[in-house]
Amino acid sequence: MADLTVAVSESAFQRLFVVLRDSIRWEAQDSTSFGPFTAGYHVKGHLEGGSVDFRSDNSVLIDELDVRWDQFQFTLGLDIPEICVGGGCINMPWPIPDICLPRWCVFSANPDVSISPDLAAFVAQELSVAGRPVVRYYDASVPPPLIDPCGLLRDMLVNASVIDPFPDHNQWHIHLNPDFIDLDLFDFADIVGNLIENALTAAVTALLPGGWVRNLILAIIGGIADFIRWLLDIPDEIDEWLSDLFNISFGLGDLLIQLVGEFFGACVPLLRVDDPLEVLAKEISTSVLLSGAPVELVPVTVPVRNLSVRVDDVEMVVQADVGG
Amino acid sequence: MPFTDHSDLFGAVHEDSINRLVRHIMRQRPSLFNYATPFFHNNLEMFCAKFEVDDKVLKAKNPLFTEQEPLPILGAPLPIGLNFCLQLSEAAIDFHPGNVFGLPPELGSLTAQRFALHLKGCMGMDCPTKEIINELLPHIERFLVSRQQLAAGETKEQVAGTFTHYTPPMAAVDNRDRERQRTIPLPTRQLICFCLELYAVGYFEWGTVPGSQQVWLKPRLDGLEIVDIEPRDMENAIECYLTTVLKLGILPRLIIPLEKMVLDISKEFQKMGLTLGRTVQLEPSAVPADVPNNPAVEDDQIKAFFKLTVTGGA
Repeated sequence: MADLTVAVSESAFQRLFVVLRDSIRWEAQDSTSFGPFTAGYHVKGHLEGGSVDFRSDNSVLIDELDVRWDQFQFTLGLDIPEICVGGGCINMPWPIPDICLPRWCVFSANPDVSISPDLAAFVAQELSVAGRPVVRYYDASVPPPLIDPCGLLRDMLVNASVIDPFPDHNQWHIHLNPDFIDLDLFDFADIVGNLIENALTAAVTALLPGGWVRNLILAIIGGIADFIRWLLDIPDEIDEWLSDLFNISFGLGDLLIQLVGEFFGACVPLLRVDDPLEVLAKEISTSVLLSGAPVELVPVTVPVRNLSVRVDDVEMVVQADVGG
Repeated sequence: MPFTDHSDLFGAVHEDSINRLVRHIMRQRPSLFNYATPFFHNNLEMFCAKFEVDDKVLKAKNPLFTEQEPLPILGAPLPIGLNFCLQLSEAAIDFHPGNVFGLPPELGSLTAQRFALHLKGCMGMDCPTKEIINELLPHIERFLVSRQQLAAGETKEQVAGTFTHYTPPMAAVDNRDRERQRTIPLPTRQLICFCLELYAVGYFEWGTVPGSQQVWLKPRLDGLEIVDIEPRDMENAIECYLTTVLKLGILPRLIIPLEKMVLDISKEFQKMGLTLGRTVQLEPSAVPADVPNNPAVEDDQIKAFFKLTVTGGA
């Protein structure tokens, strides 16, 4: 029996996943100019759908998480130099008034030509990822290997203040090792389904202002759109099923993403636990000696042994022992 | 059976880990468990209970005990005292079923959902020899006569006084300390040591507090026993006093309201820069609606059960 046990249910993870998914939103915009050309973007998005599944093979699956764009707008502009004709006045002898020619300019605006399409309705992604927790022991006394790709990555992340540097004492490291990553850059099924649903909904709403008949028809439209989504998603489901079965991503893009994910997963721990673990911090005490002279008391530490993380189909369990 | 079959989050700590943790603290912070006069710095072998010390404590030259003034000799006109040491030499906890230590017969066996605590304390005190007392007595008498502090009242004869003040070494850097009068310990050759063992049995219960709207987790004392103090009535009186102190003086201060055991996960995410649209909280599972006991003291562990609640928002 382990000394310390902490377990979190799959149900708790699922509820927290839904809250997190519904809370994550992002928005970014920027523009820049290169001489006469200007370019900009304004994107805004959120997450939808998806599910979390704990599996009996010690893995966690986040399935079909949709990335939705409320705005996916790019702006390209061209500022053509202004061309003007006319203008100027001819001085006439008195009492004849001066004759001034009208001035016509073209390309006065800035930019003169601009396109700004919003592709939100045509862009949607879907992410499925399966991974498993892996526990490794970092022994600070072991020198790094001669060729250390992980070290290079870690140094970059440390320099960018993304992660803390590795310490000079031992640690337990919990990594998340991806089994497969499936990212559909264009979620064709959802794009088509959304377009059909939006078009039909708009038409029905225009024809029938309200009432139960309209609600019934809209419900049917939703069902039809869902069916179309499901139908169009079948090839992707097969792709994900095969990826899950063989624990490898199919498709060049997914394979590259998985390789990058595995590299990060292997090199960068998600969670670190010091060994030994400090339970009482070092302390400067003035009450230990009668003279009241300050004494720096050493920290109290306990060794951590047999740290493990495992997942089954109902819960994730973290266990550890306190060393003797 | 899954750990979380009746809760969302489950945590358990085994009695062995708590007892090992206590031993680690005893080895690495001995000054929390050993109290003695400075005499013991050079006479560690005279402690009543031998104790292990971690190498890093020795390397850092940390004191092995907390210094105490000598035990004053009451009534003595000079600031003299006796060397002594006081040690908490053993501390252990045993969750049901009892198997770490045996309970004294007075407490019976450890019943379900109960935990037992075992403490062993030792005290050693110097007992000055006849020779030392005979050597000191003339000085005491001379001092009392010179100061006219006799029970018989003032005397006509004037006797010159004697030096009474202890001068601490220069190493004692605190000026206030130099000015303070110190108790001078009498020379010590041997200590008289004795140890007492205390056993206590306790449990947890949820209950209300008059005037409060929430439930509280309360530690309760079932029984307490100090082993083998004579005479019997003195043992009973001390145990009764300690039990009353614990039940009315200490344990009521340790009750915890439910609100203190609720972790607001939304606020934790907010600290990380993510505002959740709903309130997510982790709170203890209700007794007996969710689980029969929380915390549960069973299988040599103390177990806690929590549920995740999501409220508000869409």
